[in-house]
Amino acid sequence: MSSTTTAAGRGSGPPVLCVLDRAYRGAVEAQFFHALYGLLDLHGQFQRVDVALRGAAVTLAVEEDVYRPAVRLGTMTLDTLPDYRGSVRDLVAEDFTVFVDREAVTALGFDPERLVAGTVLLDSAELALRWPEYEQVWFV
Amino acid sequence: MARMERRMWDLLLILTAAPHSGDVVTSALRLSQAVLDRGGSVRVWACGYANMMTQDTFGDTKLPNTRDPEGHYPSPSAVVQRMIADGEGRFGWIACTACSEERGAVHHVPQVRHRSPLRLASTVAGARQTLYLGGA
Repeated sequence: MSSTTTAAGRGSGPPVLCVLDRAYRGAVEAQFFHALYGLLDLHGQFQRVDVALRGAAVTLAVEEDVYRPAVRLGTMTLDTLPDYRGSVRDLVAEDFTVFVDREAVTALGFDPERLVAGTVLLDSAELALRWPEYEQVWFV
Repeated sequence: MARMERRMWDLLLILTAAPHSGDVVTSALRLSQAVLDRGGSVRVWACGYANMMTQDTFGDTKLPNTRDPEGHYPSPSAVVQRMIADGEGRFGWIACTACSEERGAVHHVPQVRHRSPLRLASTVAGARQTLYLGGA
């Protein structure tokens, strides 16, 4: 399988691969301020920033077109909960390469064909082979 | 003078999970709302980093979302304040004074009650049911 490894950043920092294993880190208290949002703002600081979703974090890239997260608390309806798929779409749109671990997707029972468009499905071993392309690998 | 009758709360939630660690804070708030919707009363005891939720330094909104600068994103303390106001006496929030001091997080919004952990047992006794959520 071939994939593009587009340069996402334009800054002077070293090429970085950001690995995410943990998926859910708060909803009401986090809203937009979650790990993927933080990655979007790295844009421009590094020559290149790519993202690898593994473990439960692959669910952030599983396409979902009906569900709108919202919760009612008191008289308030909070509809600003994390929109992970939207953030994955933003990452792809801004030229981050978003790798998604195939084994994790299938192990969790999701269809590998139903990922956010533009993400790159990879076998676990294949991801490890790409590490030398980066100067740093961050476990976010 | 007669002693005041002790109030009994339907549910005490002892919230030991830190915000931004998982979905436990959201679960605690949803569970609280479900009890309120059924006419019950809920009190949350914030333990550990849960005391960060109600710091008055948040203000009413979160920091600006650079991707949606016009968007309205209520702060955690605003959410708790709103639930307290809308609960009309049936929703309460307790800050643990020891955990708050330990974390330098002592500036809670005024709607929050401050309690020493030495009053944990009496707080548990003041509720018909107690649930611990989160794990320390």
